[in-house]
Amino acid sequence: MLKLSNYSDDILKNLSLTLNNQQSLIILGSNGAGKSTLAKVLCGITPSDILLQNKPLYQYTTKERTKLINYIPAKLEIFDDYLSLDEYLNLSKLHTLLESSNMLKLLALEKLKNKPCQQLSSGEQQLTMLASAILHNAKITIFDEPTANLDPQKSRDVFSVLKSKLFQSKIIITHDLNLAYKIGYDVLYIKEGKIVFSNSSEEFFTESNLNDFFGTSVKRIKDEIMVNL
Amino acid sequence: MKYLMYFLAIILIILAPFHGQIPIEFYNINNPTSVAYKLFWEIRLPRILVAFFAGGILSLGGLIFQSLFKNPMSTPYTLGVATGSTLGVAFAIVFGFGSFVSLFGFFGALFTVLILFTLTLKLKSYETNSLLLVGIALAFFYNAALMILFYLSDESQSFEIIRFTMGSVDVVGVENTLPIILASLGLLSLSFFYKKELKLLLTSNDYAYLKGVNVKKVNTILLVTVSLAVGVCVSLTGPIGFVGLIIPHILKTIHKKSAEQLMLPIFFYGGFFLVLSDLIARNLGNNSDIPIGIITAFLGGPFFIYLIMRRK
Repeated sequence: MLKLSNYSDDILKNLSLTLNNQQSLIILGSNGAGKSTLAKVLCGITPSDILLQNKPLYQYTTKERTKLINYIPAKLEIFDDYLSLDEYLNLSKLHTLLESSNMLKLLALEKLKNKPCQQLSSGEQQLTMLASAILHNAKITIFDEPTANLDPQKSRDVFSVLKSKLFQSKIIITHDLNLAYKIGYDVLYIKEGKIVFSNSSEEFFTESNLNDFFGTSVKRIKDEIMVNL
Repeated sequence: MKYLMYFLAIILIILAPFHGQIPIEFYNINNPTSVAYKLFWEIRLPRILVAFFAGGILSLGGLIFQSLFKNPMSTPYTLGVATGSTLGVAFAIVFGFGSFVSLFGFFGALFTVLILFTLTLKLKSYETNSLLLVGIALAFFYNAALMILFYLSDESQSFEIIRFTMGSVDVVGVENTLPIILASLGLLSLSFFYKKELKLLLTSNDYAYLKGVNVKKVNTILLVTVSLAVGVCVSLTGPIGFVGLIIPHILKTIHKKSAEQLMLPIFFYGGFFLVLSDLIARNLGNNSDIPIGIITAFLGGPFFIYLIMRRK
């Protein structure tokens, strides 16, 4: 459904990627490897020849495009001082029958409804963006570190939302290896702008692979991936 | 409280034409033989209209520019549109096209918009910051050109140029206010047409893009419209700075709503602010008007600083 062939720029090098219908993907890689850059190419913010359902993304009308792909950045970016959480969510209500009030309930954001987005804490902003992704309801949603800034309880809530049937296809960029492991999607590992690993979750999370990619900083203990500080 | 403010502002705007060095009696404005009739319809009313609509255009234009550029400092002045207009006027004065001053002013603004527009098409992606930098560079260039014109001009021409740059809403004849009224209506209707897009652009360009806005197209249309409206404005009144910067900020601080919900209030209070400034300018001096730009800066500056200091 999504196909990027031999894409290169300052950071990414001759990168090709295919995502089939209903397939979801985890993208891993160290800081500065080009993960977010890739996300911006995939969603069209950075122009490229990427194909969605065998047609170049730039040939779609803006409305059709919103149906196909959405991207949730790592940080909520908002210029206006007073745009409220509720207004922000309503801007995102595109291809869903769900009401934004349901989203507020689901993620326990009701009390903050009328608060300006700029005054929310970074964790609250993270949840706001997740809610906006559900309301947008695109075929493919790309998440850039969806569990950064969250306390353990909320991380778990977000994990269950990500794992649920609320989304169709997902591409999740993360540093949270335990999340990557537990969610079980195919894994793509990017290093210095190149894909160095692309296979199933089981293939990736083996003792030897973990050792190759993360050295001694990561350990698999029983059924958990632990960061060894 | 907010409604009371509107009410008082409207009353003041209605009363404004009757105050001045020669007071006008209300019952005389329908009597074509009286001096008051001529004074009201030919001089005072056009003045008030120009002040109101110029204030509205500059303020709403400021709001839109701040939203598009995601920069609280940007106004149509930042992109050199007003300076371009001033240059056009100075050119007309120095080279003997004195009777076409407004036309030259307008073309000065139009020319600037064309330069900016061409550059926008040449920029790889829509980077508003680069455009802002281009605008600033352009303004410096224009200022140098203005210096040359000053150098070439004689004393009376220099005085005329300086007087223009101080700003004035002195327009004679109601028919001459038509361009600025039309420009206002054009700007207002287009801003409302693109209200949803503007709201999305208030978050970030990326977010607006992902929600289906053709960012480059909408940005360009709004930029050109605002610049043209400001061009009409500046060619009539001279560069009255500051209004476009402070009115949007003041209203945002008072209302605490997202910018796209404040378009009408900002237009209205921008207009009110200039009518008030003009009223003061007309009544303060003994025999002549004080340039309105001086009043707007004197009134607006301290109040603006007060608001900034009070902000949490």
